[in-house]
Amino acid sequence: MSSLFNDYQPESFFDEVFSKSGKARPHYEAMLDSVGSLTPSEYSARQKAVDAAFLRQGVTFTVYGDDQGTERIFPFDLMPRIIPQREWETVEAGLIQRITALNLFLNDIYHGQKIIADKAVPSELVLSASHYRPEFRGIKVPHGIYIHICGTDLVRDGKGDYYVLEDNGRCPSGASYMLENRNAMKRAFPGLLQQLPVRPVDAYGSMLRETLAHLAPSGVLDPVIVVLTPGIYNSAYFEHCYLAKQMGVPIVEGRDLILRNDRVFMRTTKGLQQVHVIYRRIDDDFLDPLVFRKDSLLGVPGIINAYRKGHVALANSIGTGVADDKAVYALVPKMIKYYLDQDPILPNVTTHLGVDPKECAYILDNLDKLVVKAVNESGGYGMLMGPHASKKERAEFGERIRKNPRNYIAQPVLQLSRHPVFVDDHFEGRHIDLRPYVLCGDRVRVVPGGLTRVALKKGSLVVNSSQGGGSKDTWVLWDDPLTMPAETTPAA
Amino acid sequence: MLSRVADSIYWMARYVERAENLSRLLLSTQDLLLDAGAEGVDEAQFWQPLLATTGDEEAYSKLHKKIKGKDVTEFLALRADNPNSMLNSIRAARENARTVRDQISDEIWESLNSLRLFVESAEGKTMHRLQSAAFYERVLRGSYQFQGIADSTTPRGEIWHFLRLGTCLERADKMSRLLDTCSGLSLELPPHAQARPLRWAALLRSCSAWHAFQAHHRRLDPSKIIGYLLLDETFPRSIACCVAEAQAALQSLCDDAGLQGMPAPLRHVGRLRADLAYTTVEEVLATGLHEYIDDLQARLNQIGEAIFQTFVQHAELSQLPEDALVETTSASGAYHAHADEDLQVQQQQQQQQ
Repeated sequence: MSSLFNDYQPESFFDEVFSKSGKARPHYEAMLDSVGSLTPSEYSARQKAVDAAFLRQGVTFTVYGDDQGTERIFPFDLMPRIIPQREWETVEAGLIQRITALNLFLNDIYHGQKIIADKAVPSELVLSASHYRPEFRGIKVPHGIYIHICGTDLVRDGKGDYYVLEDNGRCPSGASYMLENRNAMKRAFPGLLQQLPVRPVDAYGSMLRETLAHLAPSGVLDPVIVVLTPGIYNSAYFEHCYLAKQMGVPIVEGRDLILRNDRVFMRTTKGLQQVHVIYRRIDDDFLDPLVFRKDSLLGVPGIINAYRKGHVALANSIGTGVADDKAVYALVPKMIKYYLDQDPILPNVTTHLGVDPKECAYILDNLDKLVVKAVNESGGYGMLMGPHASKKERAEFGERIRKNPRNYIAQPVLQLSRHPVFVDDHFEGRHIDLRPYVLCGDRVRVVPGGLTRVALKKGSLVVNSSQGGGSKDTWVLWDDPLTMPAETTPAA
Repeated sequence: MLSRVADSIYWMARYVERAENLSRLLLSTQDLLLDAGAEGVDEAQFWQPLLATTGDEEAYSKLHKKIKGKDVTEFLALRADNPNSMLNSIRAARENARTVRDQISDEIWESLNSLRLFVESAEGKTMHRLQSAAFYERVLRGSYQFQGIADSTTPRGEIWHFLRLGTCLERADKMSRLLDTCSGLSLELPPHAQARPLRWAALLRSCSAWHAFQAHHRRLDPSKIIGYLLLDETFPRSIACCVAEAQAALQSLCDDAGLQGMPAPLRHVGRLRADLAYTTVEEVLATGLHEYIDDLQARLNQIGEAIFQTFVQHAELSQLPEDALVETTSASGAYHAHADEDLQVQQQQQQQQ
């Protein structure tokens, strides 16, 4: 094996590349041979070339805090994470099962609420979710699909078993980095990608477009699709633009849209043009000042009414946040049982609900051992990493939990799997997770791989970009190139 | 195309051209000072017209009491608190590009993003301090690169026409201001063919017209120079040429949009082009160069305003029947400086999971 990995220590964690005995796992062998033939300085030169390209191309996210909004590149580690076919097939089946149940749940909650009537889930827990929109009950949405684009976070524990950590069913982000990471790898290691049967991801743009087109009002054969962005100051503006370009559709802001006769139009140089499907990256609350927050500067007055009447479709739908509430998350295995009569293929992480007095007491007694999360936060905000927190931080968090127990859940600290990451001139193990992207249109499709996120700080378990996280390209390796599914090759 | 996108593309091109013109001015003024050579020259005399061209005399005087080369160049090139500085023009060009990056080629975006990274970098600041000419040349090259890339990667549709409009109207405006700074100079013919009235020579150089002009004229006859830069449609930086190109772009845009009759921007630009074509330099000088340019600038502004009204604001939108219930949102437009704080905060609040 190469010198680059000579001093590498998997330690006591589950390492994606090396088994406990220090031997490379079979699906990593070819890559290690190739990467291993490089000297540290050669490897480092490729890494720097990719970083420089990302900066020049503006493949960045915005860090809030100063008035200009600093743009940073999303740190990218060149060594790809590899998932063998057999593992991927299980993950894919588990994700499809899960999103199917979540959409059935949302359709039920916004119509008959049978799951509640049958007491399969506790009513107050579901209906108290802050993203539940009672005013949307009884509104028909196209094909009964609520979450069209989902970014599910998966982790592996010390034994290498996959778990679902959370479902992101409102505005999941990061798909653009998945695509750009692959492009960067094509330039950095062209030979390797040619030699290995890695499933391509570049069909994501056309898959997303098909998913959105599926929602168009009936009778519209060639729907006008747009991406609705909050604007250039949003952290994910790059992604909004990138996806619009991949799909070949316009990116619009609220002020570009206008309502006429309950139909949505965009202002163009040639007058008004009707819009049929909107991939919106704006929170529910800001979408329509006539219905939700009156002070919204980003929304489109009247758009909700147009949606109710079926003249325009929104992706994702309104009120999907009730399904990715971190307390409702704990109920997903029950939903899978209730709607599909199946056992979950991908298990949940054990979750203690603050809303349950007994479990709340357990949480408060064990703050030093648990991860506590606010139920509606994302991006690594609003969480307490118990074992790493100070006494004072734990006391403060305990106070918050007592004040609003419904708003918190706690989970045991998982020893997330690790992957080698290049640090200065050698490799060190860092914790990772995996975010695959799931699209629900006429059928459910999962992009092979997804975004592997890395906690770049030594010992850290938080992978979010806002908290010092980075990413890796993710390769789903197919055993036989001839059997590789065809739907992932881009349309001509 | 979205109206906001059209406006952003138009302003992206204008801001690049603005930065380019400023570079040219700074370079030629530095050269002029070197040519003037003799010690004891009053630098202020050379730098003052520059501030006048960019219309920044007042803003400058708030920061500095005296007009000094070092202060003026820094003010015009790199001051973040001067909204018209080269730095801010390049930033604005890049921010507009960012809002339309799905519409323009990756190469255009990368060229503007790289240029912005350069002017904001420590390397750029050091270069400006130690070797300002090299810095200006780098910005000039950035602008040429932008135009070359735009030319070779942009389909000849709406985007292209708005790009050309922005470039031509900005160039015409800046040329008119440049000519205006010379309106107080003597129009006397130089005593012999070799004599070089420095200011007139610098004027030609600052718009890359030195060789082109000399190919036609032996002597640096001031009135011929004015005629050349104002009325000669063959020279790409002359006002007449810019107006002719703007007219062609507007004609295509109006045809594409299927606008009936004679839309306002086309009427204004056509009339201006005809005036420039049928006016002689003697007539301009009889009116007075300064007065002529004053009127010209007002007409250029009128064209810009008409473009905004027709393609962005949509004067005709108001004629559509409007639902009583529905409020209209504010009009779309390009990026010019910081967005208002509330908007920025709300944009940032939107959760991206």
